[in-house]
Amino acid sequence: MSDWIAIGALAAVGLFIPLGMMVVSALIRPSVPEQGKSTIYESGETPTGTTRIRFNIQYYMVALLFVVFDIETVLLFPWAVIYRPALEQGVPMWDLLWPMLAFVGILAVGLVWAWRTGAVKWTKSPRATRRKTERDVNQ
Amino acid sequence: MSAAPAQLFPEFIAETLGLPGVAGEVVAALIAAFVVGNIVLAFTGVAGPWAKRKITAAFTDRVAVDRVGPFGLLIIPASAVQLLAKELIVPEGVDRPTWDLAPIVLPASALLGFAVIPMGHLGPVNLQLADPEVGLALVFAFASIASVSLVMAGYASNNKYSMLGGLRAVAQNLAYEIPLIVTAMSVVIFAGTLQMSGIVSAQQEVLFTVGGFDVPAWYALVNPFAFVLFLTANMAEIGRNPFDIPEAPTEIVAGYQTEYSSSYFVLFYLGEFVHIFLGGAILAVTFLGGAAGPGPESIGFVWFVVKIWAFFLFTQWCRSALPRVRIDQLIEIGWKGMLVLSFANLVLTAVLVGVIV
Repeated sequence: MSDWIAIGALAAVGLFIPLGMMVVSALIRPSVPEQGKSTIYESGETPTGTTRIRFNIQYYMVALLFVVFDIETVLLFPWAVIYRPALEQGVPMWDLLWPMLAFVGILAVGLVWAWRTGAVKWTKSPRATRRKTERDVNQ
Repeated sequence: MSAAPAQLFPEFIAETLGLPGVAGEVVAALIAAFVVGNIVLAFTGVAGPWAKRKITAAFTDRVAVDRVGPFGLLIIPASAVQLLAKELIVPEGVDRPTWDLAPIVLPASALLGFAVIPMGHLGPVNLQLADPEVGLALVFAFASIASVSLVMAGYASNNKYSMLGGLRAVAQNLAYEIPLIVTAMSVVIFAGTLQMSGIVSAQQEVLFTVGGFDVPAWYALVNPFAFVLFLTANMAEIGRNPFDIPEAPTEIVAGYQTEYSSSYFVLFYLGEFVHIFLGGAILAVTFLGGAAGPGPESIGFVWFVVKIWAFFLFTQWCRSALPRVRIDQLIEIGWKGMLVLSFANLVLTAVLVGVIV
């Protein structure tokens, strides 16, 4: 129980430190509002358009794969913890090993499939490819 | 496998000051947490304004910060005051609560990871706040909150560079989180526990003896392959070169922190350094024997500091020496290289442990 009190205490301290720095800074810093100062930075140019546009998330499939592997990792942790104690109690190695191998194997097949269908490849958007071709034609 | 549990830091304080009951426990925990928080802050204070400049200068054959105080050390308070006294510029159209919360989340989450890190003994004091049975899983959980902060900052800043930085942070964490944790799992197979003190004490055994010197069974020596994998994944996890693409100063200005100034920027900077030290601490505990080293147990903290600073030096060395990987290369290395290698390592470790036990 006291473990979690201590972790909670560090969480409180961890929040207190940034908040304290913000307060101290708010007390000592100047405020000189000026026209144009608060423009968002776009390499010195006047910003064009909005930032919240629709765009192609290249790693959408990767994110789905991540969820699968993340759950696998969580499910493997209890196995990893009991593996050595079970061996020391005389359970044969193969009895402990094959469920994990089967489990990892199924996901390995999934990874091979994703690999072959190009899900873990960074795809170039059609627009980027087209631009490149036009430039090549012009040269 | 696990040794007799050492007295934790809050218990030591409660006993020394004679604080009874649950209220005393809370007060002792707060005091202990305050001390640990300030130890970590002291590391980042030395690392950020001073050591980082000095190290980079040494790599590029320059002399850096030597004007203020001996070895330029007084630049630390000077920089702190200077940075906090900067004007805070709130850009147009930022997503206000999120934009303000992101700089709190990063340092707070990275600092929280130190709750379960056994930092070793300093005299009679065991500098470890808590030692729950799920320690290792917990520290990874805390450490990975950092990427949430990067996404918050990237999205809320209303800046295209920030947006790109935030999304790159997501891609990077998706690619490296699993290799990192699966490699750490191979350590768990060796140690048979997730408890941090158990992992450290499992590395106290003697691996072999060379000329009367006992070489301890640190997992970096037992399984160097896993160590290299973990080191690489750890660099990606904390976002340092060659995996610093969420910031990538030469490509996307400063990534997710482009629009931050004043204390908000300091908090990001600080949070990143705390995260580096947390990465070093996890590495030290899982692969380098925690606070173990020559000499009595009571100077363990010194060895722990040496180890995490060695890791910090390593990150700075990589910063000066290695080119940054491209984002498509990062995805390829993560998913086609590291993931496969980490699972291969897991199976090999399981077989190895099965043979030697």
